[in-house]
Amino acid sequence: MNVRLALKLLWRDWRSGELTLLLLSLVIAVSTVTTITLLVDRLHKALLLESATFLAADRVIASGEPIDPVILERADALGLRRAQTLSFLSMVFAEDRAQLSSVKAVSDNYPLRGTLIASNEPFINGFVVDKGPAPGEVWLESRLVPSLDVSIGDTVEIGVAEFRVGKVLIKEPDRGGGFSSAAGPRVMMNLVDVPKTEVVQPASRVSYRYLFAGDAGRLDEFESWVEPHLGEDARLFGVKQGAASVGNALDRAERFLLLGGLLGVVLAGVAIALSAQRYSLRHYDHVAVLKTLGATPSMIDGLFIVIFLALGTVATLAGGAIGFVVQLGITQVLSPYIPVELPPPGALPLWLGMVTGFVCLLSYALPPLLRLRATEPVRVIRRDLADASTTDRLTYGAAVIGTLGLMWWYSKDLYLTSLIFLGALVAVAVLSVIAYSLLRSSRVLGMQAGSVFRLALAGMQRRGQQNTMQILVFGLAIMLLLILYLVRTALVDEWRAQIPENAPNHFAINISPEDVAPIRTLLARNGIASQPLYPMIRGRITQINGESTRAGEGGHAEDEEEAPGPRASSDRNLTFAGVLPDDNHILSGEWWAEDYKGPPLVSLERDIATRNHIKVGDVLTFTIQGRTLSAAVASIRRVAWDNMQPNFYIIFSPGALDDFPSTYMTSFTLPPSKKLFLNELLRDYPTMTVLEVDALIAQVKAIIAQVTLAIELVLVLIMVAGGLVLLASIQASMDERFKQHAILRTLGASRRTVMGSLVVEFCALGFLAGLLATLGAEATVYFLETEIFELEFQFNPELWLLGPAVGTVLIGIVGTLATLKVVRTPPIAVLRGL
Amino acid sequence: MNSSDMIRAVDLGKAVDTALGQLTILKGIDLEIKESETVAIVGASGSGKTTLLSLLAGLDVPTRGKVFLGPYEITAMDEEERAHVRSEMVGFVFQTFQLLDSLTAIENVMLPAELKRDPDAEEKARELMARVELSHRLNHYPRQLSGGEQQRVAIARAFASSAKILFADEPTGNLDTRTGANVIDLLFDLNAEFGTTLVLVTHDERLAGRCGRSISIASGMLVPEGAGAPA
Repeated sequence: MNVRLALKLLWRDWRSGELTLLLLSLVIAVSTVTTITLLVDRLHKALLLESATFLAADRVIASGEPIDPVILERADALGLRRAQTLSFLSMVFAEDRAQLSSVKAVSDNYPLRGTLIASNEPFINGFVVDKGPAPGEVWLESRLVPSLDVSIGDTVEIGVAEFRVGKVLIKEPDRGGGFSSAAGPRVMMNLVDVPKTEVVQPASRVSYRYLFAGDAGRLDEFESWVEPHLGEDARLFGVKQGAASVGNALDRAERFLLLGGLLGVVLAGVAIALSAQRYSLRHYDHVAVLKTLGATPSMIDGLFIVIFLALGTVATLAGGAIGFVVQLGITQVLSPYIPVELPPPGALPLWLGMVTGFVCLLSYALPPLLRLRATEPVRVIRRDLADASTTDRLTYGAAVIGTLGLMWWYSKDLYLTSLIFLGALVAVAVLSVIAYSLLRSSRVLGMQAGSVFRLALAGMQRRGQQNTMQILVFGLAIMLLLILYLVRTALVDEWRAQIPENAPNHFAINISPEDVAPIRTLLARNGIASQPLYPMIRGRITQINGESTRAGEGGHAEDEEEAPGPRASSDRNLTFAGVLPDDNHILSGEWWAEDYKGPPLVSLERDIATRNHIKVGDVLTFTIQGRTLSAAVASIRRVAWDNMQPNFYIIFSPGALDDFPSTYMTSFTLPPSKKLFLNELLRDYPTMTVLEVDALIAQVKAIIAQVTLAIELVLVLIMVAGGLVLLASIQASMDERFKQHAILRTLGASRRTVMGSLVVEFCALGFLAGLLATLGAEATVYFLETEIFELEFQFNPELWLLGPAVGTVLIGIVGTLATLKVVRTPPIAVLRGL
Repeated sequence: MNSSDMIRAVDLGKAVDTALGQLTILKGIDLEIKESETVAIVGASGSGKTTLLSLLAGLDVPTRGKVFLGPYEITAMDEEERAHVRSEMVGFVFQTFQLLDSLTAIENVMLPAELKRDPDAEEKARELMARVELSHRLNHYPRQLSGGEQQRVAIARAFASSAKILFADEPTGNLDTRTGANVIDLLFDLNAEFGTTLVLVTHDERLAGRCGRSISIASGMLVPEGAGAPA
């Protein structure tokens, strides 16, 4: 292989400008992919880290009793960091005041993720502290300071021990975690002080949380090892299971970013294919000359493989470096808007970006280059000989395999990959037929139009096949952009709707029946919006159709291999309701009449029904406060767990729980300015418990804002790739246009006419492409939203105006600008080069 | 094959398939061209003379018959082997010059030697550029040269491969009379200097007259000598 000559030829091509467009599209393609990969990776890591602050850890084991120490030893052996918290309700005394508080005892290295914020005064912003209270010290939540009438340095009592008030606790990362931790104002103490309070006795209702953080791989290993070692009451979860509201947003954002990355790769690939095609078209003559000079076909292969490798290396390195810098720049510019610090970019995504670039090159650029070997030397004499086929199997095959491979590699999901791929193939086939028919039908129109139009349409039809291809490419690029835009809009709207501005941010539980009416009045008098009050009774399912739900009792054993879901036999909050709560959807069976008075019926949430093989019509036996109650399953519901409303796995028909004393719960919206109202409320009704989820909601909103920002960034990057495809596609038809318009000019067509025909041609191409794009986008988005993102599909009438309009304007402007050179070049300069 | 034959064609024919059926371009061509001979192939447009040139040079393959270049039967070879023979024995000058427009004048001349990995490619190219009086145009691109200059570069390139046979397809077809005459002088001077066998296709009677022998072709067949004046 004549490497030296190949490099010389490459250098000479570069110097004369022949390579600029190919190299440019390669570099932009690689840098787009690298930027996306790097950004996605960093944002993803940042989102996980930020989300992990919900748990103060990457993984948590929550349990009602201490867990087997073997588990902790395993975590240590795997090099995971760990911390521990212990939460319980207890009265806190100060002089003559007392307040039922939610005490959280933390180990010295708590929190593993997120930060603790404390201050020396209540109700201010505070500062970050790196660990919780020292032994002998407690930190009080702001509201407790006036409520207990204490200040920093004073003494409070918990159980039989005395503690000094060390700081005011402003914010703890995992405040949202569960009822017991959020019930009542928070008191934080050191874990080592718990025994001396003597509050925690065997059988006390306490919540142990073991926090773990570390490398993702180790965590997964730990997770799979630990599952079978957990006791019945313990469960292990990460942020996705631990905080449904964030988990769903994260899942969808991940899929969106993935989709964005995939589309970016495809667009970049198309741009490369177009440029490589043009490069080889322009090199057929070169190769014919080289062959007359004695270059053999294998020598030609060798030359172009070296050229390809050199181009690939340069483009990949330059693209990788540019991608890295662009990504740094973007994060730098955006840093004021990104609420968390992004983890540093890893080497892996850089590597992925570069490999992606090379695979793109291999599958899109190599085949047209390799086809050069087939150029016949006699072409130097007989220019009329057809170029080697531009539509052979090698090109399509390589592009198909390359794209499929990359999609699979990215998504690690063969089903998704094949579905998207088949969909795209069908779309391309259908769209090309439509594009071709549209082109042909414009012939009739063209006949009656003025000369500029006739010229333009005649031009479009003369290059029918080429223009069908171009419409397809334009259409594909616009379609991908529309898809991304639509999905993004649907996601962001859904997230905004998930937590409306006035979403309830406090839950009140343990409300005694006689307090229901006065509390409702008190809330209304203070102008506080509240939800209906739901009764709440603890109970568990003990039998399904007469078989016990407890494993090992010879009954309905639970299958540990089943899909995850709540166990039937655990204690749950039960309620009854006449009206189906908002955001609940009946999946099977029927919801009862509001005034239903028949035998007890029950409605189950989908996951608990699936996990425990419960169907409509099954009879469940519950144990509630030591007594049993049987009820037939009337319906299975889907519940929007992420809506921050009171939600229940199990809802009874009205009257079914009348024999059981119950307490009530409600939720209400309390703006920060009215926070002190809680003191009044709790002073008047000391037996009730208020769960404050306002901090949690603020955190969810912050994360969703971040996710939104991330997907918008990716959208912008994909648009850059789409623009590149448009440019490459226009460039690919440039030579032909140069010739055609030079001839027209010499025949007397004015510059204006030529210009006009160009504008009309591009606008018409853009219009047709936009129309096709809309059709394709609508169909694809229907599939994506219903199948992948689990959103409700909405028809987008505005798209049918937007698509063709965007196509016409965008292609019109970009096309005309890119071909201005055609008009400006004197015709003789073109004709001499023919 | 006669030992002094540089080119020999035996019963050479070429037909192509068209929409209207098979079209015969050449049939039953037998000819011999001796070493150092200068031969003009003349004939009307469409008579098949350019096709004959491309078959003799191994740029195209015949549908029947044989072609020998020196000791090689190129019609029995594949494209890979034919390319080797071209590299070793053949140089070309074309009507449309066929310079690579991304290469400078001297780089175009260096190309044949570079393909053979000749370490002295540049030096030889400089000498030839001087010989065609273009030393001052070494680093110009083809588009910066006049038609006559481009053809002189093409001639320099043709001789750069140390070819034994030079094929020229209408070498003056794109040039005015005066420039054309200068280019032809150069071509014949160099041909004499290098002792090359020259085969050229032309319409130009004066050019044909400078060759030692003319072969006339009409409707794809050789016109016997003395049977009529070339068109």
